[in-house]
Amino acid sequence: MALPEANRTAQRFRMLATVAIFVALLWVSAWQTEFAFEDLWTGANDFFAFFLNLAPDWRALDEIWAPLVETLQIAYLGTVFGTLLAAPLIFLASFNTAPNAPVMWTARGILTLIRSIPDLLYAAILAPILAIGPLPGVVALTIFTMAVLAKLASETVEAVDPGPLEALRATGAGRNRVIVYAVLPQIGATMTSYVLYVFEINVRASTVLGFVGAGGVGQLLNVYMSRFDYGGLAVLIIVIFAVVLLIDAASVYLRSRLL
Amino acid sequence: MATRERLAAVPPLPPHARRSLVTQYLIVAGILGLTILCLLTLNLPSWERVSRGLANNVVRVLQSFVNPHLETAPLAMSAMAETFFMAVIGTTIGAILAFPVSFLAAANLMGGTLPSAPGKTLLVAIRTFPEIVLAVIFVVAAGPGPTAGIMAMGIHSIGFLGKIFADVIESIDPGPSEAIRATGGTPLHVFFYSVVPQVLPEFASTALYRFEINLRAATVLGLVGAGGIGLPLIQRIQFRRWEQVSMILIVIVVVIIVVDAVSARIRRRLV
Repeated sequence: MALPEANRTAQRFRMLATVAIFVALLWVSAWQTEFAFEDLWTGANDFFAFFLNLAPDWRALDEIWAPLVETLQIAYLGTVFGTLLAAPLIFLASFNTAPNAPVMWTARGILTLIRSIPDLLYAAILAPILAIGPLPGVVALTIFTMAVLAKLASETVEAVDPGPLEALRATGAGRNRVIVYAVLPQIGATMTSYVLYVFEINVRASTVLGFVGAGGVGQLLNVYMSRFDYGGLAVLIIVIFAVVLLIDAASVYLRSRLL
Repeated sequence: MATRERLAAVPPLPPHARRSLVTQYLIVAGILGLTILCLLTLNLPSWERVSRGLANNVVRVLQSFVNPHLETAPLAMSAMAETFFMAVIGTTIGAILAFPVSFLAAANLMGGTLPSAPGKTLLVAIRTFPEIVLAVIFVVAAGPGPTAGIMAMGIHSIGFLGKIFADVIESIDPGPSEAIRATGGTPLHVFFYSVVPQVLPEFASTALYRFEINLRAATVLGLVGAGGIGLPLIQRIQFRRWEQVSMILIVIVVVIIVVDAVSARIRRRLV
């Protein structure tokens, strides 16, 4: 069945207007950032030339090993502490478990505010305050994990079957009892899956935290670049790639078994 | 009496849950043990150093956050505008490049999970590289500036967008495609009149979502010299100009929250 003529024209007009606005935005962006679309081609060429000329200097491995372990430790601790801090926030930010609306909106507002700043920025700000090293990294990832996890999990909490909650409330159970006996059993598997997912994100993040002095292998990125030691840089990139791939695969496997 | 009532209020655990309780305790003990091990072996600074750092900075940082350096605002806004534009181009490049790859990675279009495996593997490989590492490579290979950041974002976005695009393609309704085939349509007809119209709204919505992620990422690309607001920010952090840092952070937070809200509205209308 064809659309009425007027409707179709309106739709076509809206489509054209959207495309026009988008092209204009793209043009302004390219002009403002001095980006030429040929750069895509030359950039790709430079990129591959760089890769083909990389001769990994495997002696760098000795230097990489210790910071690599530190990277994983930072990611792990950030995930554990972030999860612990997120746990109470999840229930304050969900409409079906929050004590009242003002508390819920405050919790959500704080979470949105925290999430709007990337983890690397927290690390950059904390490094000069908390001493260069793994501590600012752990704190940065803890803050970020807390906000991301609480947001993801509160969406799950809000989607639970309200039946068990009502049943418990009808028996006179308080808020905590309702959470423990009606909400937790429903979200357990999803929550664990989210924690693993956030751990994946944290491993990725922790590989670059060292760039701002927050510990882990990232500091070597800086060292190799300033030394123009591309052999070492190549090894480092390969190692980061392998570790992230490995952790991702393990996490995906665990998550597929959970759900 | 009270205890008995409380006990009665808790239903007995089903047998399978009771059995797994031991496993659960073991897992918790393992996590706890690993946490303690990490804390003991991690090279943490001395408590004196941390408390000195906190004492010297916390009050100043907090004061500066309620008292931002307003003269930094124009610089922060223009740097954030550049960041925004970088994210626009980076996301566009990512979406355009992800488009063909996603078709190669979709099992229903490639005719099975095996033919789609190379595409899927490529997408995983791209996703694995942290954006900042890509930016470092582009800065080394092509020199510093926003172009390096745009390229890093564009390449990295392919991994995420390609995966979601492929998932969307795999979940389309086969009805329209069959109908076109039944009337004698070629695979090209099927592609343009059935596949593309079905996936386009979802694609646009995903690209917008990726734009939100890229905008956040773009704020830190400057840390490695790849353009955007990251560079002026890290310089001010290093010199501890907290009033200026706070002004820049306020601009970042406001822009990101506004863009997220606008983007979420558009996405709701799209799908």
